[in-house]
This record gives sequence, C-alpha cells and structure tokens, in this order.
Amino acid sequence: MAANPMTQFEVYRIGPEIKIGAFDISFTNASLFMVVSSLAILIIFNLGSKKNSLLPNKLQLLAELSYTFITKMISDTAGSKAKPYFAFIFSLFMFVLFCNMFGMIPYSFTVTSHIIVTFILAAFIFIGVTIIGFIKHGFGYLRLFVPSGVPAVLLPLIVVIEIISYLSRPVSLSVRLFANMMAGHTMMKVFGGFVISLGIVGGWLPLSFSVALTGLEILVAFLQAYVFAILTCIYLNDALNLHH
Amino acid sequence: MSKDQFKTRLQIAKDKLSKKNLRDNNQNSSSIGAAFKLSTELVSAVAVGTIIGFILDKTFGTKPWLIIIFFFVGVIAGIINVIKSAKNMQK
Repeated sequence: MAANPMTQFEVYRIGPEIKIGAFDISFTNASLFMVVSSLAILIIFNLGSKKNSLLPNKLQLLAELSYTFITKMISDTAGSKAKPYFAFIFSLFMFVLFCNMFGMIPYSFTVTSHIIVTFILAAFIFIGVTIIGFIKHGFGYLRLFVPSGVPAVLLPLIVVIEIISYLSRPVSLSVRLFANMMAGHTMMKVFGGFVISLGIVGGWLPLSFSVALTGLEILVAFLQAYVFAILTCIYLNDALNLHH
Repeated sequence: MSKDQFKTRLQIAKDKLSKKNLRDNNQNSSSIGAAFKLSTELVSAVAVGTIIGFILDKTFGTKPWLIIIFFFVGVIAGIINVIKSAKNMQK
C-alpha cells in the first residue's frame, strides 16, 4: 500500500502516446473513468427507458425517479422557462454523480478530484449562462450588475463588487466540488494508512473511522453532484428571469 | 364505514403525507447543500478580486496598490455573496 495519500490522484497514460502539435491528448486513467461513467449512464438509462411497463422494474424505477427528481429541482429553482435546458442539467448531474460514485470504488480514480475537470465544467456553464442571458435580454442583461435603489455615489463601487461576485461563480462552483472530493479521498487514505501502521492492536479505531468516513463520502458524493446541478439552475434562473 | 367517512379519512391521511414530504424535502438535501454552498462563496470572491487586482497591477504598472484595493473589494463582494445566498435560503 502506498504511504503517500496523494498518489491516488496521479494521472498516468494508458496505451500509446498521442500528440497533436504541443498538446498531449493521450488516453489516461482520468479519460478512462470519464468514459466508464458516461457508458454506465448510457446503459442504465437506455435499459431503464426501453420497456415502459406499468409495473416498473428496478432500472426503470431508477430512471423515472431521477427524471422526476431533476424536473422538480429545475422547476423549483429556475421556473418553467428553464424546461428546454432539462437535458443539459440532467446529463451534468448524472455525469458528476457517476464520476463521484465511481471514485468510491476501491482502486478506482476520482475524476472530479482534479480541479481542471471541475473548472472546465464550471467554465462551460458560466459562459453558456452568460450567452443565454445576453440572447434573452440583449444588453439589458448588464442590469444584473446594477442593483436598484443604490445611491449614485456608491454606484461605481457596487458595480465593481457585483462584477467580482459574478466572476467568482465558476471559481466557487469548481473549487467546491474539487475540494470536497479531494479532501474526502485523502482523509480516507490517511485513515486507511493508520490501520496498516497501527496493526492489529491499535488499528480498530481508525478502521471504524474509515467505515464511517466511507458512508460520509457517499453522502458527499451525492450532495456535491446535487449542489453542482442546483447552482447551475440558480445561475440559469438569473439569466432567464432577470429581476433585481 | 360509510363512503363519506372513508373520504374524510383519506383526505386527512393525504394531508399528513404531503406535509411530511414538504418537511423532509426542506430539511434533508437542500439545507446541507446550502451549507456547502456558503463556505466556498466567501473564499472564491476574495480570490477572484485578488487575481483581478494582480492582473490590473501588471498591465498598469502600479505595483502594490490595485491588488490591495481589489483584495478588499473582493472581501466585500464575498460577504455580500454570503448575505445574498443566506437571504435566498430563507425564502
């Protein structure tokens, strides 16, 4: 067992090295787990929606439950105008959830524990939401940065503050997911290391901690996917229903 | 049991169920999610403000000043972020 708790986050190449210009686009273990989770989503939801029986089997139940869960979440936070974006938010939630959950399997790799992955997801959401806002409202979207009822003296300062808080959205979105996943997995590895080093005499306490942490991590894995999706809905709500 | 009696009992049971669902939904996932949300909101605004200050300093050559100003503006933005999302939670 590796003593260093950070070795689990190492990205290494699987198969041949592929280079386009200066970019290394070889297939890595990170790409492998992204492919695995996407395939798992595809298989589960294809099988789940194949037979539309009145008495659903377990897969169909799972697919239907997640469908209603996401629909409810979108209509609660972003209203009925956000319905066309259901497909995007559903795939986003499922991708993050499956990546987190596949990371919980021992010896697997957690894709979402790398900030570049979560930041790219968040940056796409940020850019997309901004474009949607400008399409729906034109330059009136800039009113988002000018809250009503502010004295004219304070306006320059408030606008700068609002712009900073708008720009901080992708950062907080990506850092939250990345930090939670990485901290949790590091902690689990550290406690696992304690079990080995303390041996059969003192290892029981960290072992029980590890069991509890595993449960906590599964909760966090679900919760972070949920938070990621719900914040996307909130940002979408800001872009669709402009009111300040 | 008559039909009317059954109807009222069904109605009462349904009301109880919907109330319970509402309470569960409010308490479980969304409130823990909101707590996770608050923690990073503050930090990220400070980070973004400082980065903007750093970039502006480099372009204008006003070495320490803009980064200091934008750091504090970022702190204010972070606090406002937290207050905003806390207000959203109470709705």
